[in-house]
Formats: sequence, C-alpha cells, structure tokens
Amino acid sequence: MSSYNGIYLVGNYPDSRRFIDAALKGLEFFDFLEVGIPFSDPVADGPVIVEAAFQALTNGETIDSILQSVDEIRKKMDPGKKIYFMNYANTAHAPGYEKFCKKCTDHSIAGMIVPDIPFSESGDLKRVAQGAGLEYIDFITPESTTEQIEEVVTFATGFVYAVSMRGITGQDLSFDDATIQKIKHARSKSRVPVVIGFGIRDASGAKSACAIADGFIMGTEPVLRLGKSFNEFSSFIDTLSSELKDL
Amino acid sequence: MNKTVPDSRGYFGEYGGKFVPETLVNVLHELEDAFERFQKSDDAHEELSALLKNYAGRPTPLYFAKRFSEKIGVRVYLKREDLLHTGAHKLNNTLGQILLAKFMNKKRIIAETGAGQHGVATATVCALMGLECVVYMGEVDIERQATNVKRMKLLGATVIPVVSGSRTLKDAVNAALRDWVKSCQNTHYILGSVTGPHPFPRIVREFQKVIGEETIGQFKEAEGGLPDAVFACVGGGSNAAGMFYPFSSTDVPLYGVEAGGRSHKPGDHCETLTQGSPGIFQGARSYLIQDEFGQVLPVHSVSAGLDYPSVGPEHSYWKDANRVTYVSCNDEEALAACHTLTRYEGILPALESSHAVGYLIEHAADFAGKTVIVNLSGRGDKDLGIILGEVKL
Ligand SMILES: Cc1ncc(COP(=O)(O)O)c(C=O)c1O
Repeated sequence: MSSYNGIYLVGNYPDSRRFIDAALKGLEFFDFLEVGIPFSDPVADGPVIVEAAFQALTNGETIDSILQSVDEIRKKMDPGKKIYFMNYANTAHAPGYEKFCKKCTDHSIAGMIVPDIPFSESGDLKRVAQGAGLEYIDFITPESTTEQIEEVVTFATGFVYAVSMRGITGQDLSFDDATIQKIKHARSKSRVPVVIGFGIRDASGAKSACAIADGFIMGTEPVLRLGKSFNEFSSFIDTLSSELKDL
Repeated sequence: MNKTVPDSRGYFGEYGGKFVPETLVNVLHELEDAFERFQKSDDAHEELSALLKNYAGRPTPLYFAKRFSEKIGVRVYLKREDLLHTGAHKLNNTLGQILLAKFMNKKRIIAETGAGQHGVATATVCALMGLECVVYMGEVDIERQATNVKRMKLLGATVIPVVSGSRTLKDAVNAALRDWVKSCQNTHYILGSVTGPHPFPRIVREFQKVIGEETIGQFKEAEGGLPDAVFACVGGGSNAAGMFYPFSSTDVPLYGVEAGGRSHKPGDHCETLTQGSPGIFQGARSYLIQDEFGQVLPVHSVSAGLDYPSVGPEHSYWKDANRVTYVSCNDEEALAACHTLTRYEGILPALESSHAVGYLIEHAADFAGKTVIVNLSGRGDKDLGIILGEVKL
C-alpha cells in the first residue's frame, strides 16, 4: 500500500497568492492539504506556526478570505485529493457549529481537525459535522490508553491523526517505543489510514513515520520555507518528492 | 442555587468542559483522581489545615472599616485576604495544589501569572516543598509588576517572559499550556484561577471557598445573620468564587466587579461577563471577549490581575442563572478607591481589589445604611509604582 500524506499550510500566509501557489505545488506530491485557520491563541502550536498565524491575522485574513483562496485551489487541483480545515474550537463555535459546517460543505472542505477538542469533548461538533457529510478527524497521542485508541479508531472517518510525541508543533521528532507500539496497534484496528504528525520536517522523518504508520503530515517546515520565499518552498517540495519517490 | 456543579464532565450548566489538546486529557484525569483521593484523605486535610493556619495565617480577619463606612454611608466589613502570607488570596490555592502535586509525585511545577501574586504564591510553596518552579509571565506584566518578579526570582523560581500576543496574562496561560503538553509526565501545572479545563475550576474553587466559609461565621459572630450584600473583584474569578460559593445557597445579593478599564469601547476594558459572549478558550466554554470570527480581542485594565479576556465557567453559570450580578469599575475609580481606603483605614489594597471597593464607593447611595462585605483579595505594595504615577501626594 502506498502512503497517505498531508501538508499543512496557514491559510493565506504569507499572502493569498503565495498560499494558493504553494497549496497547488504541495498537492502535486501530497495526498491532502490541511488549511490552518489562524486563531489568536493557538495553544497547540509552536513559534513558527504561531508567528505565521499572527501575520495572517494582522493582514486581516478571515475564514472567508481563506475560503476564496480554497475555491481557487479547488479549481486547479486533482479533484480526487482532499482539503481539510485545521481550526481551533472557537473558530467553529463563534458562528455556531451548523453555520460553520455549512461553510465547509459549500466550499468542498472534506472535514476538520480541531487541535483543542479532545475525543471526549468532540460529540457536539462531530454530530453536526458528520450530519453535514464532513469527516471529523480525531487524535491519538503517546498518552492515549489502548481503550481510548480502540474507541477513536472505531469511530474514525477520513484518517486518524497520530501525534508523534508529547508536545506542540515544531519540535524535533522523537518516538518512544511505547508510542510506536500504540500507533501500530491503532493501525491494526483501523479501517482508515493512521497518519503521523508533529515533528516531521524532512525525508528521513517522513520515512521513519511511514515505517510505523500509513503516512505523515508535515506543517512547520513548509510554513517556514514558504515564509522565506515561494522558490525556497518549491525546491523543498521537489527535494522531498525525489527523496521519497519510493514511499 | 445548585451547589453540586460541576457535573462529572466538568460542566457548570453549559459552561466548562475540557477543551485541550488530546495529549492533556489523561493528565487531567490523573489530576481529578488525585483530587478525589485528596478530598477523602484525613491526613491531607490535616496537613493543609495546619499549613493554612500556621504558615499562611488563616483565618484572616473580617474587619469593620469604621472611618471608611462613615465616609461612604455604608457599613463595610473587609475580608482581609491582603493579610494572608505573600499578600493575596492566591496562596490558599497554591498550598492546596502543591499538596496535590506531591500526591501525584510530580517533581516540577509550572504556573502562569498576571499581577505576579499567583507567581509569588506558587514560587513560595515550591520553596516550601523544595520543588522546581517555572513561572510564565507576559512581558507587559513583567514591567508593571517588577517587584513581584524580583520576589519570584529570590524564591528560586525561573521567570520566563512571554513575548507573543498581547504579552499579558492570557499569553502566559498559552505558554504554560504549551509547556504542559510537553512536560505533563513529570510536571504539575498550578493554574491560578477558577479558569482552564476541568478539573481546575472546581479544584481552585474548593481551595478558595475557605474565604467565604470563614466570612459567614465571622459575620454571624460580629453582627448576627447574613450581610446585605457581598462584593469581590473578578479577573479569572478565584477570589470571587471562593467568597461567593458558600453564599450561593443563601439569598444574599452578590456582586462580581470586573475591570472597566478606560472605556466601554472594545480593547479598552475587561468586562467579559457584561460585554462578552460564550466562546471556547483556554480549556473551557465560558464568556469571552471576542469578535464575530471567534478571535479573542485585546483587553485593558490598569490592574494586571484583571487584564484577561475570559472568566471561570462557574461565573458564566452564575450570570445566566442571575445568581450573581456582574458590574464594572473603571481604572480611574479603582485608583481613587485605592487612595481613599489607604487614607481612611491605613489599608493599601491591590489594584485588583480596589475595583470592588471602587464599585461600592460609586454606588454607595444604593446601599446606604446597609451592612456589606468587600473581599479585599490582596495588598497593594506591588502596585506602588502605578499608584504613585497616578495619585497626587
Ligand atoms: C490581589 C488579587 N486580586 C484578584 C486577582 C484576580 O484573580 P481572581 O479573579 O482569580 O481572583 C489577582 C490576580 O492576580 C490578585 O492578585
């Protein structure tokens, strides 16, 4: 089975043009795109993504301006690939879960990943999202128990997001043995891909993730490169895809 | 009023919950378990009671402020949390939580602080127990509460300046949460107010309710019966929750005073409960100062401890149930109140507490001849720099 990999970008960062170009470039290699909706208080993120989100907010970006870019990306991308939102809970809560989910379906968003809603708290939003035909992505982490992992994979739609380590985005990758066992167990029980995120910044990290799971998600490094220039981002993706062509 | 909140999922009506990254869910369970065991342990209770009495100086007095009462035409009692060791009510909570940390065998303590009082109270209990202490504090607050920064350092704590966002209390909480997601295996986060994810709002209220329990007994002894009204300032809401919770099953009118800042315009105040709307922020669903997209808006108060865009979920519950009346007092009124109380009673209140005093002064006519209680949550030595800049001597 070939791997199932995602790229994370902050919506309309550093501006809408570069975001759209980067998304299309990224989707040549990656199977899905996660669009981060900038939030004022991103507790699950490290300095790179915090700074990018802050920039986007300072530039006046909103969910609506980001969705305009999503529409453009949709027109040109491989229609078989998916776009997810990575949004904090309050982004969905402020307009109300129904309105938020309708916005997602109106713009062909496949589903959502919400880093500050754990499985135990996800019922309300999940019910509305799944009712609207959206995927709701849950997390497993190094802290998850076997029972929790089995519960998450049983109800999973789309994919399962396996957090590689205790921490926030942008740390160095490290797997402990117990975590590797947990991810393998999740995979053995899951009908959907189990994809590892957090800490993967290059081909070697991606390879070690794919040795354990069905794929990887990369966020901080692409955001950092794109902040520098589109060319820097583009050559990063080219290098990655040539180093990972056997994946 | 229903006193059995929160429910098992940490909800006060529709407020509260556990909105945290998945990684923290089990450490919050662990904390819940430890707290249950703590509540049932006679040894733990004895240890905490002894510390509160012999180390912290409880019970704190309920003092009849005679000259101040005559001046404003209201009979005013002050609950003297300013006399508690380290100078504010915050120590009630940190003493309790440090014992919980020992229960859980955590070796490292982290905390956020705004005014620095919670940071000092945390650094103090860490010195007492010999545990490592890291305090996150916004750069703006480091500047305006410099004395407390020095106190924390002297106590052996590492103070980490937070330079993101508004560089105040909310950003210090974000930084502490980010640390905790990494370090939860060996670290306990001593959260400083009745805010954050379940079980913190409950734990902190339980450790602070000693304020209200003492007050009810002391008032009965002094005056018989119950007071005509009770006032407390509300930042995150811990001194107010500690005072109000034991009163919540009576019908005594309760007033929570938020920071009115410079004006009622967005960005100029911290009137979360009167101007905000429900949102999900830093672990809980509660009232929040936010825009239509759910972005948290800048807030302002002259007092660092009230400079926060949200509030503990139990206050949101009390607001919707009309059990507590939430009002505000602006910067200028608070500063004037601070000066007045100092001149009439020889008591220098913290700028946070001065908001409760200031509301009462401004609305004294509504309470003329009545007998009321103000929770004097802390002392104002930390605020001398700001006060002297504003008040003519
Ligand atoms: C003296 C004093 N009162 C009140 C507060 C506000 O916190 P809370 O609303 O949790 O009591 C602070 C916070 O730093 C404080 O130092």
